[in-house]
Amino acid sequence: MSKEPNQVVFNDETQEVRGNRRTAIKSVVVLVLIAVILGGLLAILNDALFISDEERIANTIKTFYDNEEKSYRKVNVLKQNRENIFGSIDNVYLIEDGNYLLKTTGYHGYKDGTVTLWLLAEFKNDSFNGFIKIRMESYVGQTLMSNFNDSFYQMYIDRDITQGYFSVDTDDINRIVVSGTTKTSVAINNAVNSAYYFINTVLEV
Amino acid sequence: MKVKEIALDGLIRQNPTFKLVLGTCPTLALTTVAINGIGMGLAVTFVLICSNVLVSLLRNAIPDKVRIPAFVLIIASFVTVVSMLLEKFMPDLFQTMGVYLPLIVVNCIILARAESFASHNKAGYAALDGLFMGFGFTLALTLMGVVREILGKGAFFGLTLWNFKIEFFSSAPGAFLTYALFIALFSAVYSSIERRNKHKRTLKPLADESLSQDATIKEVAKEAR
Repeated sequence: MSKEPNQVVFNDETQEVRGNRRTAIKSVVVLVLIAVILGGLLAILNDALFISDEERIANTIKTFYDNEEKSYRKVNVLKQNRENIFGSIDNVYLIEDGNYLLKTTGYHGYKDGTVTLWLLAEFKNDSFNGFIKIRMESYVGQTLMSNFNDSFYQMYIDRDITQGYFSVDTDDINRIVVSGTTKTSVAINNAVNSAYYFINTVLEV
Repeated sequence: MKVKEIALDGLIRQNPTFKLVLGTCPTLALTTVAINGIGMGLAVTFVLICSNVLVSLLRNAIPDKVRIPAFVLIIASFVTVVSMLLEKFMPDLFQTMGVYLPLIVVNCIILARAESFASHNKAGYAALDGLFMGFGFTLALTLMGVVREILGKGAFFGLTLWNFKIEFFSSAPGAFLTYALFIALFSAVYSSIERRNKHKRTLKPLADESLSQDATIKEVAKEAR
């Protein structure tokens, strides 16, 4: 007789467990189905909206030349010239007007991360005249990258290149960007200096 | 009638930026120029409409206990779609929005509308709610962007108006001040309209009552004559 109530409780528990299991399975199935369907949609769109390297370069040139299209050719950079003390030279293109478009990566950023920039180097009568456009392409490990606006890159454009390599001024960083971005600005500075080094030593102008 | 209610809620009564104070990160960070406000607003509107429709269509299929992960999954997918579209067709805007574009996934407005409206209403109404909430957000961001661009850069949608500029308005503290002023202005105008409407509603039955009283007096006087 005393076992009867226990038996009832046991049945209730079994039903509850079964109900919970059913809900759990349904939840997982629904989540997996949503993920699979939306994943499929994203895979199709990823293919349809794929941006090739040529498109990226054309977009950068259009941005730098106020929507004007320019023809260009890729400059072959030898393996030994791809890296220097500041960073690396990812790609170099010669634009039809004689200017060079460089994609460089600067080392030693925040948490030893990197910053990759596009730089348009102006050449007049075959001599380097300075950088006229700079745009950030990507970065690794930098948390305050969005604080770097056009005013910061303008410093590199405005400066006289005969003064040599660029350096980071902490006061300027605190004034133009925000305090705490010194390491990131080092990586940006290294990306610019990497391009400057390449122009001076490899292009020899 | 419900459409009008949804429109008024999205644009004014529950304006996500000025009334509910949601999505403040992009509001403060991206409104340095007006065009950024429009870009961000339209991106959020697209995600709001798509996620609201899908959440509404799946509202009976998604178990209650996993509704939030399911909503986040849906929202994240549409944010990725927006991100791909912008990178392909508007690379400049994509670059400007930077980290704030993927952060739309955790935008409170979108999750809040999915949870409070789309999961309880039909797909058509959910789409309208997304549209008007998105428009309300876009309008707010654009207004803030216009003011900050004029004061902070002396320009209007990129066109230079004059050389005078107060750079404070382009900075983060300037964003907070502009936002606070807009909220104060919006609340003041909204409260005054609400008070006027309430006053009208209170006066109407009184007027009806006095009219009926007049009619009764006239009838009594007529009978007495």
